[in-house]
Formats: sequence, structure tokens, C-alpha cells
Amino acid sequence: MSNVRTRRGVVAGSVVLILVLIIVATSGGVLSGAKTIARGVVAPFSWTISAIARPIGNAFAGAFNYSNVVNQNAQLRSELGRAEMRASEVQTLEQQLQEVSALQNLTFVGSLRVLTAQVTTNSPTNFSASFTIARGIDDGVQDGMPVVSNGGLVGRVVAVTSHTASVLMITDATSVTGATFGDATTDVLIDGRGVDQPIVATSVPLSAPISPGTVFVTSGLSGGLYPAGIPVATVKAVTLTPGASTYDFTLAPSANLHSLGYVDVLLWEPAT
Amino acid sequence: MTRGLLALALTTVILVALQLAAISPLRVGGVVVMVIWLWPLSLSLTGDTRVAAVTGFLAGVLFDAHSLAPFALSGVVGVVVALAAGPLGREGVGDLDGAAWWVTPALGAATGFMSPLVYVVAGALTGHPDLWRGNLGVMMVVNAVACAVLARPFTRLAQYLANSGGWSRA
Repeated sequence: MSNVRTRRGVVAGSVVLILVLIIVATSGGVLSGAKTIARGVVAPFSWTISAIARPIGNAFAGAFNYSNVVNQNAQLRSELGRAEMRASEVQTLEQQLQEVSALQNLTFVGSLRVLTAQVTTNSPTNFSASFTIARGIDDGVQDGMPVVSNGGLVGRVVAVTSHTASVLMITDATSVTGATFGDATTDVLIDGRGVDQPIVATSVPLSAPISPGTVFVTSGLSGGLYPAGIPVATVKAVTLTPGASTYDFTLAPSANLHSLGYVDVLLWEPAT
Repeated sequence: MTRGLLALALTTVILVALQLAAISPLRVGGVVVMVIWLWPLSLSLTGDTRVAAVTGFLAGVLFDAHSLAPFALSGVVGVVVALAAGPLGREGVGDLDGAAWWVTPALGAATGFMSPLVYVVAGALTGHPDLWRGNLGVMMVVNAVACAVLARPFTRLAQYLANSGGWSRA
């Protein structure tokens, strides 16, 4: 009995081990393989929970709308709720259409080809300013490609699968963006400070003619992560420490990073 | 025991999925409430630190697979939480039926408060020194409040699994 159990355990273990090795081999590395396995384990459950949670969330949204019609009878409230839900959907669709339309008129991407992508999920953690888009390798997206939205730079692709890509935003604590302004004689590094935090440029020479409202654009230096000329941020506040020989700036991102329904991936790869 | 561990594994995967699909998008004051760090505390309070540590680590790894944050760092926090709460669990502190009603929520609050800090420190020690940036203070406070509220139901669930799985203190 014990031998049979042991044999079953060995067979089951071997099958699992073979599966793990296949996944690791096909997904490009141990870390990537581990992530793929972990995602595969959780995916069915998170899909199910999403499917359950979304209607509940919609019901809550509907409840908020109902507060304006508390004097209506139950039937009217029900009909109004349905109508408001439809109106809300239409509004969302109109907003999405506007965003997509606005993206078609981007002025700063020049002759670069762009690929419009829908934002599917935001980062699930407090420690990474990122999101996922519904475009991947099969659509021509590659690691390192810049991502913009109407208004300016959003970030860059840092991980890509067949049908999805992860975008690290310029506000992420690990993000550093090379930028310049005006006649492009002064280069600065713009640092992210984490989710929902303003971005900053530090140690800028006092000789640089910068004031609130100055717009920083990507410098496009050789070997840089971005092509030149993409608006990154606008100077919001200037900090000058007494006795210091440099400025520090607090910046507001040019792109509206709080309402990203659709973004454009620039089909441009950084030089290696 | 094996069936109990399978139930624990399934519950943990469902909790991670719940975190990813429902709790993370629901930011409170711009902050994600990390219930996957409360889970190892709840398991540890049932008395088996080893089960709590392994489960906390695996929950963290499963979660980290879905983000660009350093892989497995959330798992490290889960292990730290489990190990820190281990002695309390073995002594019966935080036992829902034995201790004062506020003890478990207080332990949950302490866990929620300290976990983001542990994450940042662990990140700094493993070559990710930038994680302290951001709303660390707000994260700690929001997670403390949320974990205080959720501590009793989570610990009740852990206790149920422990009793049916055969690794409870009793």
C-alpha cells in the first residue's frame, strides 16, 4: 500500500516537474517561467472573481445614481436605473471614442508609427506604477517601446507576451527619463517617485532658464530609452536650497495618467 | 491532513485571486489594501508557524507574478509576518475564543501597519532601494485600519481550516 502511494507520488511529482521544465524552457528563463506558472494557477480564480465582482461593482454604481430619485416609486426607480446604466455605458463609449480620436491627432510622435492599445488592468500593488495593455508581440509590440497618450509620455513597455504588454509608467520609483527643454542645451533626468506622486528633476544647474510652466520633452540622446521631442512634464514648483548651486523641480506629467483608457505604443525601439 | 492542506492551498489561491481581481482595483485613499499579508498572520495565530510561513510565501509569490514589483518580495513579507506572529499563536494570543475581542484586530492593525515597511526594508536589502518612495505613511495607516477590520473574519477562516485540516493548536 505504502509502495503504491510512493510510486503514485513519484509519478505525480515527475509529471509536475516535466511540466515545470517545459514552461520554464518555453517562457524564457526561470523567473519568467515561475511567473507564468503562478499566473496560470491564479488565472481561473481571478477570472471567476472578476466576473462576480464586476456586476456587484455595477450594482453599487447604480445605487449611487438612484440617490437622485429617492422619491420615485419602485418601478420608476428600476426603469430609471436601467436607463442610467445605459446612459453610463454610452458615456463611457463616447469617452473611449474621444480618447481614440484624440490619439489619432498626436502631434509629437512625428513620423513614428503608432499602435493604439486598450488599458486592461492597473498595477495590483502599491509599489509599482504600471498597467497592462491588450496588445503584445503578435501585434508588433516589443520590449522597450515608448507609450504615449494624448498630452505626452506615459512610460515604456517592460514586459511583453503574445497578446499583452506591461507598461512601466514614468511615475514609477524606478523610472528615469532623460529630458530637455527650450533650445535643448541642458539635459536633465526626471525621476519617478512612486504611485500618485509627482515626478521630479533634481540637480539642474542654476544657469538653466527654467520657471513654472516650462515643458520638458524627451531628449532623444543616443542610446536613450525614448525618441526626441515627446512632452514629458511641466514644471510645477521650483525648489532652491540656499547656498546650493542647483535647482530641484517638482513636475506634473504632461499626459493625464489618472484616466488612461487607451494609449499609443510608438513602434520605435531603443538602440542597443 | 493532506485534504486539509489542499483546502488551505485552494483557499489561499482564491484569496490571491480576490486580492488581484477585487481588492487591488478598489484603492482606498489611492492605496491597495494587501490582504495577502493578513493571511499568514491569521494562519500563524492558529498555532502552526511553518504552515503559515509557507502559505504566506506562496501567496506572495502568486501575487508578485502579476505585477512588475520585485518578484517574491511580497512572499518574504508573508514569511516575516508568519514568523513574527508564530510565538503569539503558540501562546494563544489572538485566539478568537480565548483572548479579548480586540486582541486579534490589534494584531491585524499592527500587521497592516508594519507590512509595507517590512516590504520596503526587504526591498532595500535585496537591491531595490527605491521602494520607500511613494505614499508609505498612507499605505501603513490604510492597511492598518483595513487589516484591523478584516483580522477577525480572516482568523476565523484560518481557524476553521486548521481545525478541519488537523494542524490547529488544540
